[in-house]
Amino acid sequence: MIELRNVERSYRAGHTETWVLRRVNLTIHPWEFVTVMGPSGAGKSSLLNVLGMLDDQWKGEFDFDGEPVHAMNRKQRADLARRRIGMVFQSYHLLDDLTVAENIDLPLSYKDIPRADRQALVADTLDRFQIVGKKDLYPHQLSGGQQQLVGIARAMIHKPALLLADEPTGNLQSKQAKEIMEMFRQLNEQGTTIVQVTHSEANAAYGTRTIELRDGWVHSDTAGTVAGEAEEVQR
Amino acid sequence: MGVVMSYQTWQRDYAGDPSVVGSTFVLNTYPVTILGITPPGFYGDRMTDTPPDFYIPMWMEAQFGPAHPESLKNRRGANWVYLLGRVKPGTDLKQLQAKLSASLRNYLATLPLYQKQDQAKNLAESHVVLTPGGAGIENMQQEFGTGLKLLITVSALVLLIACANIANLVLVRGMARRAETSIRMALGAQRSRLIRQMLTESVVLSCLGGIAGLAVAYAGTRVLLTMAFPDARNLPIDASPSIPVLAFAFGLSLLTGLIFGVAPAWVTSHSQPAEALRGSNRTTHDHSGWVQRSLVILQAALSLVLLVGAGLMAKSLSKLENQDFGVVTENRVVAHFSPENAGYKQEQLQALYDKIEQDMHALPGVERAALSLYTPLEGNNWGEGVFIQGRPEPAVNSNIGASWLRVGPEYFDIVGHRVLRGRGITVHDTATSTPVVVVNEAFVKKFFPNGENPIGTHFGVSGMESTGDWEIVGVVSDIKYNNLRRPVRAMYFRPLLQVAHTKPEDDIRSLYAGAIMLQTKGSVDGLESQIRRTLANINPNLTLTNYNTFAGQIHGQFNQERLIARLTLMFGLLALVLAAVGLYGVTAYSVARRTPENGVRMALGANRGSVIAMVLSEAMVQAGIGLAIGIPVAWMCARFVQSQLYNVGGHDAAVLAGAIVVLAFAACTAGLIPARRAATTDPVKALRTE
Repeated sequence: MIELRNVERSYRAGHTETWVLRRVNLTIHPWEFVTVMGPSGAGKSSLLNVLGMLDDQWKGEFDFDGEPVHAMNRKQRADLARRRIGMVFQSYHLLDDLTVAENIDLPLSYKDIPRADRQALVADTLDRFQIVGKKDLYPHQLSGGQQQLVGIARAMIHKPALLLADEPTGNLQSKQAKEIMEMFRQLNEQGTTIVQVTHSEANAAYGTRTIELRDGWVHSDTAGTVAGEAEEVQR
Repeated sequence: MGVVMSYQTWQRDYAGDPSVVGSTFVLNTYPVTILGITPPGFYGDRMTDTPPDFYIPMWMEAQFGPAHPESLKNRRGANWVYLLGRVKPGTDLKQLQAKLSASLRNYLATLPLYQKQDQAKNLAESHVVLTPGGAGIENMQQEFGTGLKLLITVSALVLLIACANIANLVLVRGMARRAETSIRMALGAQRSRLIRQMLTESVVLSCLGGIAGLAVAYAGTRVLLTMAFPDARNLPIDASPSIPVLAFAFGLSLLTGLIFGVAPAWVTSHSQPAEALRGSNRTTHDHSGWVQRSLVILQAALSLVLLVGAGLMAKSLSKLENQDFGVVTENRVVAHFSPENAGYKQEQLQALYDKIEQDMHALPGVERAALSLYTPLEGNNWGEGVFIQGRPEPAVNSNIGASWLRVGPEYFDIVGHRVLRGRGITVHDTATSTPVVVVNEAFVKKFFPNGENPIGTHFGVSGMESTGDWEIVGVVSDIKYNNLRRPVRAMYFRPLLQVAHTKPEDDIRSLYAGAIMLQTKGSVDGLESQIRRTLANINPNLTLTNYNTFAGQIHGQFNQERLIARLTLMFGLLALVLAAVGLYGVTAYSVARRTPENGVRMALGANRGSVIAMVLSEAMVQAGIGLAIGIPVAWMCARFVQSQLYNVGGHDAAVLAGAIVVLAFAACTAGLIPARRAATTDPVKALRTE
């Protein structure tokens, strides 16, 4: 599904260039649940931004389902991301002045989907994530776990093939974190490929594969064993 | 005989030479002694762009006008004297006014006109109104008053718009420093102290603005005076701002700084410190949002009102300038001179006029030349009541007025009067030939409304006994001579030197032509100096008092209208720019505040177009509400400018539509810049700031 070859990313500050990703070679197969770990500044979020096509300042090659992302312009990348990728953020990033239902509807509002269809999709999603009763509440009226649930519902509403989660439980209590991780597990079992960034070993345990980054380099990757299993499941 | 020279003339023409005082000058061919120089600030009895060069004692009037058998003071029909007096301290002005009114009525009662039966009411109602004369006769206040009041209102509105911008600026500064304010409050700063700090900043800001504004005002006043009085040589208005004006302007800027600094300071100091310290959020919802938007809406509404006003004035000016005056102006020039001041006697005029016309025709490039008492649209008008032969005596208050002037044979062709019936004035209409007049169409419409043939009809202007004085021999097309805003007046034209049979003494003054009109083949280089030389060759005392092209003379009639229209337009555009800047500022601030939100939206799939549309639509909604408020306000305010308009209704849909389009375009441009910036938000960076 995802193939990165020699992907590099650096930030320039004055005369110095800071590398956050160094020659990353990575293959992620469909149905995988990949956990990216590493100390702060290792390049985890940068990798996630590259995968989420939010960042287009990197070098190297990136194929998504066989399509060369590196050869696409910004608009093509945005279109591809809009169709195939969902994102979940550590601080939820719900819009404060929109209700739960409106927040969930947001990704659909950027697609050419008739209003009636959108409403149906939102209703389905609220039902699926069991937050129908909260559809008219505003984010500040929800607990952190509930907000993140809405964040995940928003990311999943357009049925993305890849779900990217950046520290999805970073702001949650352990009980709420566990519920969210169970949700991810379910989504993965239903066929969504997930890449999560986390510091938590417990969260990593939900994944099928763990990649560890250090100073921008891929330090270790448990692929091979887990990737094989994922392929088997797909077959 | 002694006269006093004006300070300006003394400085301009004699470089302040002290020997001028006591020396003898020849004034209108009479030797006079310069008794003294006026104080520098003295400009005579009234403010005008051509103040007098010499002040002559009243008693010398009779001697200075050799044409008059007697002094104008003895001509009861000539109302030409203004009375200026100094009131004794403690005098009751009402009583004085009543006394003067009684004196006036006593005098009027001695006149034959007021001795008629039906004049009793007019006589009883005649009265004197005393007006303050400290600044002279208030002619300029009357002439420019309405326009200036309009400009003051317009300036006040622009000031209000600028104040709204200052308020927004201070508000945005306050919002940007919300965290700082919150920290200060958390550390124990009192609200009053925070307000004081913000107020200090806004007052310093407005003072700096005030100082910059004074510099602009200093230069602007000069430009303004040049625009208002383009031909003025010794304008008695000092362009340097006086201390009261300086103090007023500075005080006003200080006051606006205080007033428009208080509200934002209040709003900012009432933010919740805990909320602010928690960090930025993903919403534009804050306490100041509605204030900012309201200010922008106010600006949009006010600038629409000003734009509509400017549009109406511009359209009115265009209609005024482009109306059909009936004249032909190409290759026509007007030269003013005064044979009266050159000392000519009545019996010398025929020879003088013949010589002038002959010499002017001899100038290279001159096709036609004609003398006249005055010319169209130079600001002159002679009028009399008309008494037509064979008709009953008109009632006292009936409208029998007509303007008139004396013209030479080629005058009609030069100016553009077409002879419609009968004939024009010819070389055969001399002082001794049958007295004739040519009338215009408006005259025919007024005095022959039932289609009677005016040709052959006789009339006069000195009562019923004069009805046989002149015979109408022709009708010419209408031309506007005086008031541009009003229809063409009834007019009649007389030969240069024919004197009325009835009361010939009243006719002498008009025998002295005041202008020479020339028609040339294309433009002639150095024509002015050639005319000057030609006149001087005839008599060195014949001087050219004014020279202009006919087109230039007409153009000069619109100075005031042009000034008001230009200033209104300038203020309208300034208001538009200020409103656009205000809208831009608020939108840009909103975009900056919503960077994280835009980042989230773009991370969730929003494309550039949808972000631009979102930001732009918010800006346009504010402009739209401003328009919704401004349209009825502009509609209602139109009546205040109605009196300044010519042939334009206050409710002009085209002007309103134009103003709306201009404002909408400006709002769109102002909103588009921050909208485009919002669309280039880098989601990664935006999310990182979260």
